[in-house]
Amino acid sequence: MASVISFIFWLLVIPFCIGLIPANFIPAEKRSPGFVLLSGYFGMWALFEIAAVPAVLWVEYDNFKIASAVFTVFTLLAAAAGVVLLYRNGKAGAPGLILGTRVTAVAKRFFAGTGVEWLLFFVLLGFQLYKAVAFTSFDGDDAYYVVESLLAQEAGVMYRILPLTGGSTGLDVRHAMAVFPMWTAFVSVRAGVHATIVSHVVMPLVLIPLTYLLYYEIGRILFVKMPRTGGKQIGKEQLQDAGRSVSGRENLPIFMIVMAVFQIFGNVSIYTNETFFLTRTWQGKAVAGALVIPALVWVFLLIYDKGVKNGRTDVGVWILLVCVNMTAGVCSSIAVFLVCLLVAVTTFCLAVAERDWKILFKVGAACIPNVVYMGIYVFMAYSYLL
Amino acid sequence: MWGIFLESVVIFKNYMGYHENHFLAGIYLLALLYLWLTEKDRRRRVLFVYAPTLILILFFCPLFRKVFVRLMEDSETYYRLLWLLQMSIVSAYGLIRLMGRHRRIGLAFACLAIVACGDYVYDSEHISRAQNAYHLPQEAVDIVDMIEPEEGRITVLVPADLIYYVRQYSTDIELPYGREMLIARWDYYNAMYEAMEEAEVIDTKTFAELARAYPCAYVILKEDREMREPLTDYGYSVYGQVGAFVIYKDMTL
Repeated sequence: MASVISFIFWLLVIPFCIGLIPANFIPAEKRSPGFVLLSGYFGMWALFEIAAVPAVLWVEYDNFKIASAVFTVFTLLAAAAGVVLLYRNGKAGAPGLILGTRVTAVAKRFFAGTGVEWLLFFVLLGFQLYKAVAFTSFDGDDAYYVVESLLAQEAGVMYRILPLTGGSTGLDVRHAMAVFPMWTAFVSVRAGVHATIVSHVVMPLVLIPLTYLLYYEIGRILFVKMPRTGGKQIGKEQLQDAGRSVSGRENLPIFMIVMAVFQIFGNVSIYTNETFFLTRTWQGKAVAGALVIPALVWVFLLIYDKGVKNGRTDVGVWILLVCVNMTAGVCSSIAVFLVCLLVAVTTFCLAVAERDWKILFKVGAACIPNVVYMGIYVFMAYSYLL
Repeated sequence: MWGIFLESVVIFKNYMGYHENHFLAGIYLLALLYLWLTEKDRRRRVLFVYAPTLILILFFCPLFRKVFVRLMEDSETYYRLLWLLQMSIVSAYGLIRLMGRHRRIGLAFACLAIVACGDYVYDSEHISRAQNAYHLPQEAVDIVDMIEPEEGRITVLVPADLIYYVRQYSTDIELPYGREMLIARWDYYNAMYEAMEEAEVIDTKTFAELARAYPCAYVILKEDREMREPLTDYGYSVYGQVGAFVIYKDMTL
């Protein structure tokens, strides 16, 4: 029971509270519980990178214990800050940080007429979760990544013991800077559950719904026109008008079903991100492919869709972009490069299409953590030449 | 440069599963083409049309591939560039745009097309019913439970069937060699591995000497593994058996 409470605390409560911070800095009509939870996760992983990477690189003994302690302080402070912002918003009578301007009436309309489609989607989601728990997917890389998590849990060290055999080893920078297995270890330690169980059972139960939540948020922007209020509280009549203006919402469950079917039948080779998503869900590279890269699409939709002007009210989205960029480094070193490439290509196209050259500088600034990450990577990998 | 381009074509085909008659890429390219022709919102064009097209062009660009391989010092992961195409999101968005008002019939056709062109992930030979909460073979768990020391660590020689799993259950078990020996293309050499896995019939004397050099407290062999002489003649005793695996304990340690 204590383990379940701990999982709920570290995998739901903490990220949700952290997500209240970026939610405070975006327009009310962009807010949703999905935004809060997703941005909380990306924020939490970014904090983990800050806590763990220096410990991996520059602390030799008990580096996992030190990183865990620092990360615990970071997350608790960030979560507390989120709760304070929620309280202050509520006290000031501003639109809620979690639901934004939406209320039950719209939510009810949201599902109206699409119940069958939503039911079908949830059956597909449930099926994937059932398969993830009741079936095992063999992957040779687990002998590295899962054992790294278990070593951190059992020995309290990160990347100082060779996972394949148990001998001591020098720092393998390429793998050591991608600290996702260490986050899994952190959750395992806090819950007191064996890291292999957390990797193979708990992580899919968290990461699969989280990924679909991201697809839902993308679909929501693509297919549902949310009421625009300019951040002000809206009245009942305006809300009904807003509800009527919701168009294409019937496409949202269709989008979710197609996405789910695509994941289930996307195993055209062992290389696709769909295959990674459902067969190696717990590995950082799978998270990079299924969650982090699509999250960039989501962030760009948030920045640019619906014609919202960039300004102070969008600061939360830029915070989110920084956190997504940092999460790429948590997942995989190559993901940092991939994310930079996608961001560069998309931003370049946006700058040309929008004639908005400032966007290049803004997005470039949001990529600074990636540049720092790659700088450290290159320095550590080639420092023997100095 | 032409050769590098052709390599990229092969990687693309392998990624998309053309050699196994999977055509999910066809759905994606159809959706991409449809969005090229019909998407009016220029911001969405950027995300769902221009960016994926540019990524595709970069993927096939030999110069880009050279830079990638040089930067990453790894050509094996080049296929991950295709993750940036966002196949599922672009396909889903394009298909839904194509459906127009015919949502339900369109959904049925879209799902049928994906099922026909794709491959069911849970059919994979690597997926099987979980035997325990660890999602590890029960034999690996039972063996480690039998031999795991109360304190400290021991080195154990295990057959290839168990090599991936033992340390996922307990890191108190160390191995003379690990998964690296099972990947042929990595081309490692280990005398213990040669004696254990590559020899048709195990030369017991050499085998025992090598195992003691680590030293391996236990040696686990499949019951049908052929040996010149029984291991028990060399100071080992049968400690137990789990399924098809016989556990030998080195009594000289």
